[in-house]
Amino acid sequence: MSAPHSPRFARRTLLAAGGGLLAMPALAQSRYPNRPVQMVVPWGAGGGTDATARIVASMLEKRLGQPFNVVNRTGGSGVVGHSAIATAPADGYTIGMITVEITMMHWQGLTQLNPESYTPLALMNSDPPGVQVASNSPYADVKALAEAIKARPAGTFKASGTGQGGIWHLALVGWLQAMGLKGDHVRWVPSNGAAPAMQELAAGGVDIVTCSVPEARAMIDAGRAKALAIMAPERNPQFPNVPTLNESLGINYSVGAWRGIAGPKGLPAEVTGVLVPALKAVYDDQEFKSFMTQRGFGMVYADPQGFVRFMAEGDRAMGEAMRGAGLARG
Amino acid sequence: MDALIQAFGLVFDPVVLGVIAVSAVFGMFVGAMPGLTATMATALLVPVTFFMPPVPALGAIVTATAMAIFAGDIPAAMLRMPGTPASAAYADESYEMTKKGQLNLNMGVNLVFSVAGGLIGVAVLILAAPALAEVAINFSSFEYFWLACLGLTCAVFLTNADAVKGFLSLFFGLLLATVGIDPSAGFPRFTFGEVELMQGINFIATMIGMFAVSELLRGAISVRDAGHVVVQQVGDMFRGLGAIWRRYWANFLRGSAIGTVIGALPGAGADIAAWISYAVSKRFSKEPEKFGTGHVEGIVDSTSANNSALASAWIPALVFGIPGDSITAIVIGVLYMKNMNPGPTVFTENPQLIYSVFLIFILANLIMLPLGWAAIKSARQMLRTPRNLLLPCILLFCIVGSFAMTNSLYGVALMLVMGLFGWFLEEHGIPVAPLILGLVLGEMLEQTFVQSMIKADGHYLEFFARPIAGMLGAATLLIWAIMLGRGVLRSARR
Amino acid sequence: MRLNDALLGAILLGFAGWVWWMTTFFPAFPGQDYGPNLFPRILAGAIGVCGLLLILRGLRSRAPLVMLDGWTREPARLVSFLLIPGAALFYILVSDFLGFIPTAFLILLVLALWFRARLLVALPVAAGVTLTVHWFFSGLMRVPLPRGLMDPLL
Repeated sequence: MSAPHSPRFARRTLLAAGGGLLAMPALAQSRYPNRPVQMVVPWGAGGGTDATARIVASMLEKRLGQPFNVVNRTGGSGVVGHSAIATAPADGYTIGMITVEITMMHWQGLTQLNPESYTPLALMNSDPPGVQVASNSPYADVKALAEAIKARPAGTFKASGTGQGGIWHLALVGWLQAMGLKGDHVRWVPSNGAAPAMQELAAGGVDIVTCSVPEARAMIDAGRAKALAIMAPERNPQFPNVPTLNESLGINYSVGAWRGIAGPKGLPAEVTGVLVPALKAVYDDQEFKSFMTQRGFGMVYADPQGFVRFMAEGDRAMGEAMRGAGLARG
Repeated sequence: MDALIQAFGLVFDPVVLGVIAVSAVFGMFVGAMPGLTATMATALLVPVTFFMPPVPALGAIVTATAMAIFAGDIPAAMLRMPGTPASAAYADESYEMTKKGQLNLNMGVNLVFSVAGGLIGVAVLILAAPALAEVAINFSSFEYFWLACLGLTCAVFLTNADAVKGFLSLFFGLLLATVGIDPSAGFPRFTFGEVELMQGINFIATMIGMFAVSELLRGAISVRDAGHVVVQQVGDMFRGLGAIWRRYWANFLRGSAIGTVIGALPGAGADIAAWISYAVSKRFSKEPEKFGTGHVEGIVDSTSANNSALASAWIPALVFGIPGDSITAIVIGVLYMKNMNPGPTVFTENPQLIYSVFLIFILANLIMLPLGWAAIKSARQMLRTPRNLLLPCILLFCIVGSFAMTNSLYGVALMLVMGLFGWFLEEHGIPVAPLILGLVLGEMLEQTFVQSMIKADGHYLEFFARPIAGMLGAATLLIWAIMLGRGVLRSARR
Repeated sequence: MRLNDALLGAILLGFAGWVWWMTTFFPAFPGQDYGPNLFPRILAGAIGVCGLLLILRGLRSRAPLVMLDGWTREPARLVSFLLIPGAALFYILVSDFLGFIPTAFLILLVLALWFRARLLVALPVAAGVTLTVHWFFSGLMRVPLPRGLMDPLL
């Protein structure tokens, strides 16, 4: 997948070759991007964030004519990758996919980074949490489950989905708080992501998993688990049979795991001027749409200003929820 | 039957066969390069497969990974640097064989038993996919905790060193595994405020350091001495294989069986399969004292096991969309992209695609024989290269490989520190293999312990309450009791 | 280089104590009895026990505290040994600035020459290997090798 050479570019290359090293600065000054761009992903290869980043990268590559290389910088619950994006030189040649964790990690005292450490470019996706139980669970709907949780003493039910203080843990905490219970009424079993948690659910290790429905999809399709509700304002068209919490319990609580593209703070205008419209075009592309629908990922777009507002709002809400649950530190 | 004929048509298409051939060469090279893993090869193939129809896309991944897992054996035998983690379990043993002048036989055994083990894994994938996955999917943290314990017990079997030093190495590995975000509360441990340390101690960079850099340190001392390297006569690597086959066919079957079962377990892949089957081989061998001195028996077991695990890891991936290892974790993403959503329904909706995957697996294992032969023959040139040129090149490969694992200088720094540390340990007769295993299994051990304790509300008996967990737990405790009893007896006799 | 078991054991004991001391700063988590300090403490204890056993053994053996191998007294061999970590350290320190190609080329060339390769052989090998590795990792595998000074040329 070599970059297509425009005639202008080829002429410049010839000039550079002819003129020797002296002609090089002219090439370097040509329009952004004129060399490969790194797209840092704070999560591992093979996951949902990685897949989304790779499709965005390949479509940017087609549009802008330079390779967009996906680089996985994993570990530290996302801290490593997020700080790699924030601390990269702000020249537009390192951008990355930032995720909801950027509004959470600093409350936990894991890092100083927060949404303001970035130049937001576009919000591309957001997935609400669902309430999943094993297929042989006695609770047919979320109402029955909620009543059972309320009726039993704290700690009877066990739930999983992420590590302690992760996004799906907060989804559970927020839901319990909205029902008037304490955040730890259901014991949280920390897990290494949604897939192992769904495995625990199928194996009978935990009672509830509050990950997003697309993450739970394989187990649901396998007949091992069922989704009782999603914590979103409206139903997901991919899973039309799963009601919202508001419909079934009258609780209007929604959070989401979102993904967006951002660069280090202070990206120059000639870079954002290229990337922002290109990302908008990627979002509107039929290929991107069909990929996202295929995997059941929620499509949400926001331009840089909207993205800033979105993150500021999420940051505030997360801080509140985490302090309420005793998960905030420092 | 229609689907099977359709599948033949899909696979035996010139473009698909071309893709398979190119990915085979790619996989061979990646596997033979220390620091490049089969997982990495898969991850890097994904963007290429974006532009392909499903069959060549999956064909590229299947072929490249199968080749990579085998090719990892080549540098293990020639340079004591396992090309992929899956070859780490018997890298020492292979290298000892080479030092004894049995490189030909060693490579022949690795190649033929890799192919045969791979074919067994494929056969099981085809025949028993749903049934095996049914068992594995019922595993919860209790079962995994016991599995991790069993794996660690293997570490003690694996070492020939004295017990105190073997355990010391294991504890160091487990302690290194605690660096980074902890699995119970999400608190960063032993990071000293360094962001890079939050990702924990990278296993591959550590392995490159401990196995390769420490070897370079020892080698560097004598490079300037004039004497040139004795290059072994290039011979027939298939000679003597018949005898090995007749003598160790039971080992081959056992290794393939262990590899298949472990591969099908979610989360445990080819590397753990190799460790466990090597330990089992030693435990039940008639000549356990020969292990570690360049004895072929354990290699037969473990080289069969890692290739069979590769295929069986696809069982839970295809049937439930749950990865059997890190490679199939990526494969699941590709399946979704190709509109082949994994799950029981994929067998009924797209049977021709599933059959194509099976066919490609068989094909990949068959072309491994000639391609592997060619790879070994050309890799031999490496040993003929003068050491004063080879040594700097290997150092560069180590640096680049470690860099590629973390995409940052952290990997290189880790490799350097671990290389010096590994050299220091071996100078004191402390083996490094248990440390590596502790590092691999440490997180699983702690995570599943914490999960289990939370689920059990602190009641230890819950660890035996589930039938399979109870069996695994009883087996683990029994092995520990036997080991302890033997130790007591031995010291009483002294 | 080899330390006496007693000295090694004492170092390990000190190390175990240091690890234990560090775990006292780990926070307890509300509603969770098995916190982040449990496993490190078990392991520190286990390493401490191993250290004690080694001290006992070392005191019985009466070997000298530190044994140095013969090669450590030969400057040329010592330099050969130190060049390996030195080269890795050099890569860590300058690769971002110089870029992968010059750094790798220098490492290969200097090491090969010190190990008594002929310049006429070392030069093309260093250049060829550097470019091949760069092509494979950076071009094919898309590993972000540092571009450094070569940035405008690539």
